[in-house]
Amino acid sequence: MKKILALVAVIALVAFAAPAFAAANPFMDVPMNHWAYDAIGQLAARGVLSGYPDGTYKGNQPMTRYEVASAVARALAVVDMTKASKQDVEMLKKLVVEFKDELDALGVKVDKLDGRVAALEAGVGGWKFWGQFRMDAKWASEKDGLYTTGDTDFNLNRFRIFGQKKVDDNISVTFRIGKSGVNTVAWERYFVTAKMPWDVTMHAGLYLTDWEGDDRLYHGSENDAKFTDRSMTGFWFTKDFGMGMFQVFAAHFDEDLNTSPTQKWFYDNNLGQYILKTTHEKEGYEFGARFRVNFNENFWLSGNYIKRTFDDSPFLGESYGRPDPSPNPSGTVGVTEDKQAWWVALGGKFNSGWTATFAYYDVDNGGTNNSGNAYQGIVNIDQSVLKFTSLWLEYMKIDDATFNVWTAGTWDTYGTVTGTSLGNYDDILFVRADQKWNDKWATFLRYFHGSARNPAADNTKNYTFGVKYWYAPAMSFELAYDKIESAGTVAGADDHVIRLRTIVDF
Amino acid sequence: MKIHKYLMTVIWVLAVCFAPSPVTGDEKVLNRWSQKQDFYDKFGSELEVRATYYSAEYIEALVQVEAQKNLWTSDETEQYKYQLLKSLSLDEYIPIHIAFDNRGPAMHMSPFDKLATLWIGKNKVSPVDYDKRFNFRLQGKRDGLVFFPRYNEKGKPYLENAKTIRFSLSNAISSTTMDRSAVDFFWDVHRDNPEGLYKGRAAARLELDRLIKRIEKLNAEKRDLESKLNELNNELSSVNKRVEELQKQ
Repeated sequence: MKKILALVAVIALVAFAAPAFAAANPFMDVPMNHWAYDAIGQLAARGVLSGYPDGTYKGNQPMTRYEVASAVARALAVVDMTKASKQDVEMLKKLVVEFKDELDALGVKVDKLDGRVAALEAGVGGWKFWGQFRMDAKWASEKDGLYTTGDTDFNLNRFRIFGQKKVDDNISVTFRIGKSGVNTVAWERYFVTAKMPWDVTMHAGLYLTDWEGDDRLYHGSENDAKFTDRSMTGFWFTKDFGMGMFQVFAAHFDEDLNTSPTQKWFYDNNLGQYILKTTHEKEGYEFGARFRVNFNENFWLSGNYIKRTFDDSPFLGESYGRPDPSPNPSGTVGVTEDKQAWWVALGGKFNSGWTATFAYYDVDNGGTNNSGNAYQGIVNIDQSVLKFTSLWLEYMKIDDATFNVWTAGTWDTYGTVTGTSLGNYDDILFVRADQKWNDKWATFLRYFHGSARNPAADNTKNYTFGVKYWYAPAMSFELAYDKIESAGTVAGADDHVIRLRTIVDF
Repeated sequence: MKIHKYLMTVIWVLAVCFAPSPVTGDEKVLNRWSQKQDFYDKFGSELEVRATYYSAEYIEALVQVEAQKNLWTSDETEQYKYQLLKSLSLDEYIPIHIAFDNRGPAMHMSPFDKLATLWIGKNKVSPVDYDKRFNFRLQGKRDGLVFFPRYNEKGKPYLENAKTIRFSLSNAISSTTMDRSAVDFFWDVHRDNPEGLYKGRAAARLELDRLIKRIEKLNAEKRDLESKLNELNNELSSVNKRVEELQKQ
């Protein structure tokens, strides 16, 4: 009778606990090849479990979820967390997560359990670790080097290991060690996060912000941002408020201090002449500020500003008196003058599953005739609307030939399509359609078309078809075909690649 | 170039003005209060985060959708609604349902309540309870409820006069979101009609539950007072008894 009541309790709790649980069948038998079934057997074999609730093993009979949960509850009651092997505790933890609802119904409070396994969850010395691994196999037609791999290339092209430790409730430390492309293993992130008074959060260290990603100004699995999405060493502050947030940062970059100094020409307005200076190009400060505010659940607005000032202190020498540097000896007059970029973005949801975004960019890369602006419009339609596919439609109108962006390879997802010189194009159309067929399979199509600004140059095209398969949530394979025509508006710069990518997350 | 302009113009007109979506009726209501965000990283990892605010119109639509799907009678529908409302504890809390589908690096969100915030106007509210499974390492799918208090310390409802609320998850929930500022969801709660929810037999049963709870509380208070009264009576009688004894001497 008691068992019947308990079962009724399970039905009531699981069926009505929340809408997501409503569809779950609490009496679905656990198949004998289910990991939980095996885990129970292993724990029993190691003596962690002395038997099932009725004191017997079920032999070859499949168990109900309730029975498995009962076994877990029994194990929790008797096992000594401090003495059980790490493997056993980990297995128990997985079982607790899987059968939380049933355990609740049995009166085993996960809250209490949480404390018991907290030490294990905290990881080694309080550190938590996770990571990613990516390997590419490429077979390319590489006459123009657009994929920079050679005809055939098997490459463990990226891996990352993250570590994080909570110093206390308000302070944490995070790092990332990784390898990207041909670079050697490096510290890619190391920063402290601290919650300050007045809802201010501070990040200090080698950190990355992606303001364009925040506003969804590019498709996340696709091209890079234009000005942000770069790691820098400095201080970031975020002030949250009810309907938005405000951010500022100050960073210093000195990546090239170890490289040979270079000679650059500067125009001095006071002297009215050019000056040849010997300097390090990539040393200086970068400052930025951003706000984003939501007016309601549908509309938002953001404003963003970044300024780069190059540090003149390591000048090694100057020479005056050259009134006209033509022909320019290095071709880089004004390169190290201050740069700045600002953009505003506005977005809205117009119907269930539809979003539209508009952005205006203005960049000044220093020197004369080295600035430009552009407009961008994006319509994103979720797969729930069209049922069979999602749709990302992006259009960019570029007003000036000098519109150069700061993040390398804005559309260079598979190969070198545009580089940073977006000013080569009058306008750009980018379309991506993703079809998620089920939890295992997805396909996608993408198309890029850049209209050449110079009438004599060729338009750039890039199209891709890909299939993605998830062997497990932690492991997936992507097979894609990508073709680039007239890369960077250069006639005949055509290549294609077949790429098999293996991704493992842990 | 002209072709692009015409194409984009047509798309914008379609999207902004007409939006001929096959999503209609209850489904539209469900989509409005149950919002989804996708995150990607350059590795090919994906993270889907869905957050649901239990507005009155969402609950009504959900009940109707479930009833239609399962071919329930009106009694069964009322029973479902009653159990749902009871488990959500809307009279005490603001529950938000979160569902993760993580196809990327493992998420470590312990302690989860430090990563979730509800902004209601100028008020910043922290969870009072949440599904403890969020504290465990997560790859794959997991969902659960987070409960925020409905009333402040003075007993005043947070949602009174609130227009839009913001549910914010820290960017630290995953390395896939780490480069973003936060994972934010916004709901125009002033466009909801909570009064509409408390109608019908489910509402009567909930009221009955409340009254039973209240009777239990009052009975407990009564028992407490009766025991105190007994103690006082006993003390009084012993004092009287002693007084009488002294008077006799």
